[in-house]
Amino acid sequence: MNIMRLLNIFLLVALLPVTQLQASEELLVYSGRSDKFVKPVMEAFTLKTGIKVVLHAGSSTSLLNKLQLEGERSQADIYISNDAGNMQKGADLKLFSIIPNEIAQNIPSNYRSKQNDWLGLSARARVLVVNTNSPLVKDISSVFDLAEPELKGQIGLTHSGNESYIAGVTVYMQMKGKDATRKWLVGMKKNFNDGVFNKHSKIVKAVASGKKAVGLVNHYYVYRHLEKYPDAPIRILLPDQGEQGMGVAWNVAGAAITKHSKRLNAAEKLMAFMVSKEGQGLFASVNREYPTRVGVAAADDVPAVGSFKVANVPMTSLGRLRNETLDLIEAVGMP
Amino acid sequence: MNSQLTGYFYWLKSRLATRGLLTLMVVSLASIPFFFVIHSSLQLSVERWFGLWTSRLPDLIWNTLSLAIMVAFGAFLLGVSSAWFIVRREFVGRRLAIWLLVLPLTIPTYVFAHIYTILLEPSGWLGSVWVWLFGESSLPNLYNVFGVGFVLSLASFSYVFLLVRDALSRTHQNLEDAARVQGASSAQVFWRINLPMLRPAIAAGLALVVLHVLSDFGAVSMLRYQTFTLSIYLQMNARFDYQAAAGLSLILVSLSLTFLVLERFFRKRQRYYSSAQSRKVIPKQAGITEQFMIWLWLGLVSLFAFILPLIWMIVWSWQAWIKDMIDMAFWGYVSNSLLISVLAASIAVVAGLPVALYHAKRRDFLSQSCVHLSSIGFVLPGPVIALGILVFVLALVPNIYGGMLVLVLAMVIRFLPLAIQSQESAIQQLTPSVEQAGRSLGAGPLQNLRRVILPMMRGGLISAWVLVFIDTLKELPATLLLRPTGFDTLPVRIWIEASEEMLELAAPAALMLVIGTLPVLWFLMRSGAKHSS
Repeated sequence: MNIMRLLNIFLLVALLPVTQLQASEELLVYSGRSDKFVKPVMEAFTLKTGIKVVLHAGSSTSLLNKLQLEGERSQADIYISNDAGNMQKGADLKLFSIIPNEIAQNIPSNYRSKQNDWLGLSARARVLVVNTNSPLVKDISSVFDLAEPELKGQIGLTHSGNESYIAGVTVYMQMKGKDATRKWLVGMKKNFNDGVFNKHSKIVKAVASGKKAVGLVNHYYVYRHLEKYPDAPIRILLPDQGEQGMGVAWNVAGAAITKHSKRLNAAEKLMAFMVSKEGQGLFASVNREYPTRVGVAAADDVPAVGSFKVANVPMTSLGRLRNETLDLIEAVGMP
Repeated sequence: MNSQLTGYFYWLKSRLATRGLLTLMVVSLASIPFFFVIHSSLQLSVERWFGLWTSRLPDLIWNTLSLAIMVAFGAFLLGVSSAWFIVRREFVGRRLAIWLLVLPLTIPTYVFAHIYTILLEPSGWLGSVWVWLFGESSLPNLYNVFGVGFVLSLASFSYVFLLVRDALSRTHQNLEDAARVQGASSAQVFWRINLPMLRPAIAAGLALVVLHVLSDFGAVSMLRYQTFTLSIYLQMNARFDYQAAAGLSLILVSLSLTFLVLERFFRKRQRYYSSAQSRKVIPKQAGITEQFMIWLWLGLVSLFAFILPLIWMIVWSWQAWIKDMIDMAFWGYVSNSLLISVLAASIAVVAGLPVALYHAKRRDFLSQSCVHLSSIGFVLPGPVIALGILVFVLALVPNIYGGMLVLVLAMVIRFLPLAIQSQESAIQQLTPSVEQAGRSLGAGPLQNLRRVILPMMRGGLISAWVLVFIDTLKELPATLLLRPTGFDTLPVRIWIEASEEMLELAAPAALMLVIGTLPVLWFLMRSGAKHSS
């Protein structure tokens, strides 16, 4: 009867994973970054080496969770995240294997972990985007100015689930101390009276439309908007520069080979490709990020590396101090 | 030795009967996530419990309960009023209205949340109207209890509508007539006769709504409103703190179970019987002004709950279509979604059958506990169920990990309560004498099941299948964690594309969810119509 037929289907489905496992000689990449930024790189890799890549997309943190829970059962070979915090968290949880030195050495040591269990692939700066017509913005020179009462109702922030936002707060917390950061968060909480944004792109949009005077975003969102609307009255303001300034908060997107990868050889090839000049150039061009490999140029329109001051904070701290940052943010009650 | 074992087996079998044994099997499978929660939260030290208690719980309880009350109120208002008009008045386009009021069920909460944040931007469709009317400064913000309450009321009032409509069409006229004869006004009749009679249906509908609120992940995570479910998810996800997540889940489960037991208790005390000879309600023909008023209200409700989101989906899907963005991969997501939903619905109906039969036949402590335990899936947040199953599978049957079976298992466990409840209510309408007649005419238990019981509870089977199908089609959090690699379903794609602002890609997926649900919903409504006539 029907029930028997159902049972058959059930058994068939149960046997499916085994056959799947044997058939796949493809690399499995857990990618916490947007498909549209990773895909071009993977396609170039496949074209070059003939090794196929399956992208399993999700949020960086939940994929890291999955990796940890799966343990040695995991079929993933590569983990890619948009945030150094997640990379280091994974390294601390011992989820990654060591990347051979001849691959890792292409990346400067401040953009990778000490043990070489993850590499930073592309860097982004946490900047302010300002509306050039707003009279309010001439006094702004630091991200801490966002807590000033004059900016009430004029600032654009993402909600505090955003990884870039959390990483930024971690940097400020180390540079200025916990108390100053708490005061800053409290001040900002009073200032965004009509709510936070769920996307960086919406912040840039709101600043361009004049609804907000200033927003805190990753640098490439500003260019993305200007590409679509070249006449938008917005510009990047690199915060916290000068003698006294702490410098811009910096974060890297990175990749690692998983500890239990069964296709180490191919995984290393992919890593090598991502740090090669070609791969790095692709990362720089698809999203205007700063390639981490020395000698690969960033896109023309972004401020050149070295022309501005960057906060001197080790990337690995973005993972170690994340829970502390989350505690701080939640204690203040940022949405 | 062997004969002793067989003897024991027969003893157990004689005590429980086959359906009892099967029930125990199903229930123990269904309670995997629950045991995971208990196991993990036992590992929490006393200090950490205390820490959770003081730092998080007061806010979480307040946030969750105020949201539940707000949504219950919203769903009550929308559901009862529209059910009343539909059953008690005859007006032009009544059948269309029924459809418009049921169709919001096809839109997942995260799609609602996503669409309304976009529509309410200053340049969005609703936002620009609002700015024109009231100015930009007062533009409503969805990132708070009112916003989430609004979204969840729209997404869930249809449950109340369906149940109250069913109850209303089954009530009989004579009580109302009696009240009228005694001189009661229409308002008095409503408050003192109709509303009390409807209490069981309203309670059941609101219970469903509240349970959906308690376990909702999509809307609260899109709108960043800290309920138990979101906080549990963040504990797991951002902090890797599974024990705290389990601890919070345990508290949530106890809250929900208390609520469920209370609801069952009150429902049991409120059974109304009506005599068979009484006159059925005939909808009154509405006058022109009344028709206008009815459509004003129903139109407003369905505009926000279905028409506006639908138009949005169509417009953006059209964009995707003309930009040629709908490729083979998209149809792959569609067939993945359908496959998983058909499998989960079919298995859930089969698995739920013995539980429902057992509970309908024996109302003792054991069968009660079985039903309560199997409803765990509805009470626990999706991410926790997924985590529990993941840990269980990896520890005990790692061979099936990474396959579809795990995902199907998770869906069946999550939505088994739906299957059991609708089958149970169908069985309750069977008088035991029917079954006994079958048996006395010489049918064996299986033959009796196949030829008497199953055909008679066909409606219940269908609605069980349809309900599980719809909810699986929309399921997000467990699918995100447990799907086989590269196996993306429509909700997963919506989630990914929406978080990347790719509206052209999120919209067609959402539209396909609506379209995919239509045929089964049509089937359900048709069998329901037959059933009530």
